Amino acid sequence: MTIILQLLFTGIGIGAVYALVALGFVLIYRATNVVNFAQGQFAMLGGYCMVITTVDLGLPYWLGVVISLVVMALFGALFNLGVYYPLRHRSFLPVVISTIGASILITNLVLALYGPEPTTLPGMTDYPGISFGAVFLDAQYLVIIATTLALVILQYFFFEHTMVGKKMQAVSQDKEMASLLGINVTGMIMLTFTYSAVLGGIAGILVAPILFVSVGLGAQIALKAFAASIIGGFGDVPGAIVGGLLIGVAETLGAFYISVPYKDAFAFILLFAFLLIRPQGIFGEKIAQKA
Amino acid sequence: MSLLEISGLSAAYGAVAALSGLDLAVEEGEIVTLLGANGAGKSTTLRCISGLLAPTAGDIRFAGTAIAGLHPERVVRLGIAHVPEGRRVFPGLTVRENILLGASNRHSTRAARARDAEEMFALFPDLVRFADTRGWMLSGGQQQMVALARGLMARPRLLLLDEPSLGLAPLIVQQVFRIIARIRETGTTVLLVEQNARIALGVADRGYVLETGRLVVAGKPEALWNNEDVRAAYLGGKRLSEESRT
Ligand SMILES: Nc1ncnc2c1ncn2[C@@H]1O[C@H](COP(=O)(O)OP(=O)(O)O)[C@@H](O)[C@H]1O
Ligand SMILES: [Mg+2]
Repeated sequence: MTIILQLLFTGIGIGAVYALVALGFVLIYRATNVVNFAQGQFAMLGGYCMVITTVDLGLPYWLGVVISLVVMALFGALFNLGVYYPLRHRSFLPVVISTIGASILITNLVLALYGPEPTTLPGMTDYPGISFGAVFLDAQYLVIIATTLALVILQYFFFEHTMVGKKMQAVSQDKEMASLLGINVTGMIMLTFTYSAVLGGIAGILVAPILFVSVGLGAQIALKAFAASIIGGFGDVPGAIVGGLLIGVAETLGAFYISVPYKDAFAFILLFAFLLIRPQGIFGEKIAQKA
Repeated sequence: MSLLEISGLSAAYGAVAALSGLDLAVEEGEIVTLLGANGAGKSTTLRCISGLLAPTAGDIRFAGTAIAGLHPERVVRLGIAHVPEGRRVFPGLTVRENILLGASNRHSTRAARARDAEEMFALFPDLVRFADTRGWMLSGGQQQMVALARGLMARPRLLLLDEPSLGLAPLIVQQVFRIIARIRETGTTVLLVEQNARIALGVADRGYVLETGRLVVAGKPEALWNNEDVRAAYLGGKRLSEESRT
């Protein structure tokens, strides 16, 4: 019993990271109808920003976090201007190819600057964690879960209770109508990219102390997060969160009970199962009605 | 000077011409209707005015300012609200949210927006019950009311309405047109596109009839109603629309 609780805790912690990246996929998809395949690279950049500021430059951890988030916000805006904006009137495919190109470019730039060896980032706190009987709650996992929870609540409040949030929703539902009302469509999409880059960056900052920081980090997380958003019902915000947690738990349980080397396969087994049994995803029906 | 002055307006979708050399004027305080069969170019005219489509030639002046080719976000700030064909209510937002977003063209405080929204609920009392209902759950008539209220939230000097009667039951159509008449009484000028010529000419001060992107005749409602060509064109239009519905 305790081992199950221990595994669930670990699974939810790593799943929260997938959920954050999946949210980035979903928000950009809803705003632009395009899948941003560089979303995982945002997480990798967040991890490297932390390594540069706190390890290389020796800045305090909190300052590293602040600088990394500002850099990610600027990067998101730049990404919007360089990768999406020039192609905004084109169809799905050219834009998707553009994001894949950007993702390859980012990966290779980091590779050229930092080389292929993974680096490590210390955890946010030296405090090891809390023991609940035989269950040990690792501090970094607690930080991940708490941060994700806070972000989800904040984001809910933002989209449901602020006028800017409503405008962003309006843009994602009907851009032409939004512009007829005087809503700044370009600005709202810019904001979406900025926020998604920050979300990805936070995911990277949170997960870096658990996994190694390497050029492969982006792809590793993005694949799981992409699977999570499909499982949730692509385009659905609660779905992305639930999907991320499901994948985190599935791969943790699978690694423990079945096979560690095949850990990464369990996300995709779950994805295949969903595609066979419930291809519209957990919350898929709601979207069909909305459309 | 007319509130809206259009001269020599031409527009195209790719290589296909949709409007060729249209002249039209709307005076402040009028309801002017633009009639014509399906595909005549009525919606295209409104799209050019509100900035959704850049004209290929011609001039559009609103209160003296040249607005042809301006972005829709700019046009609505100048005081032209466009309620497009098919209502386009945001499906995932509630009725109240849809209406509040109508004020996006002007700077107003949260309290002022809420007050204006209450005014809309007073004008459309049937919507009160549905204030927290999402757009996709509404009937066509309710959606039309929301679209009108959202358009009025912009406090426009000129309101562009594209086929507000389309797909509505006769009783609801009458209700919508009573509200259009009231909108004019509050000082808002209306350019009304319709296929339902009978009801449009009933509220309008003047009318224009379009045929394949050209103006064929303009005048007072009685004159248009008694014009043989218009009746032929109008009946043809009605036949067309009925065919497309079956
Ligand atoms: N998005 C579009 N792409 C191509 N052609 C269009 C488009 N919209 C309208 N048209 C064409 O332009 C002409 C005028 O259309 P429209 O202005 O919608 O007519 P109306 O509103 O009077 O029914 C029609 O021939 C129509 O087929
Ligand atoms: Mg039309």
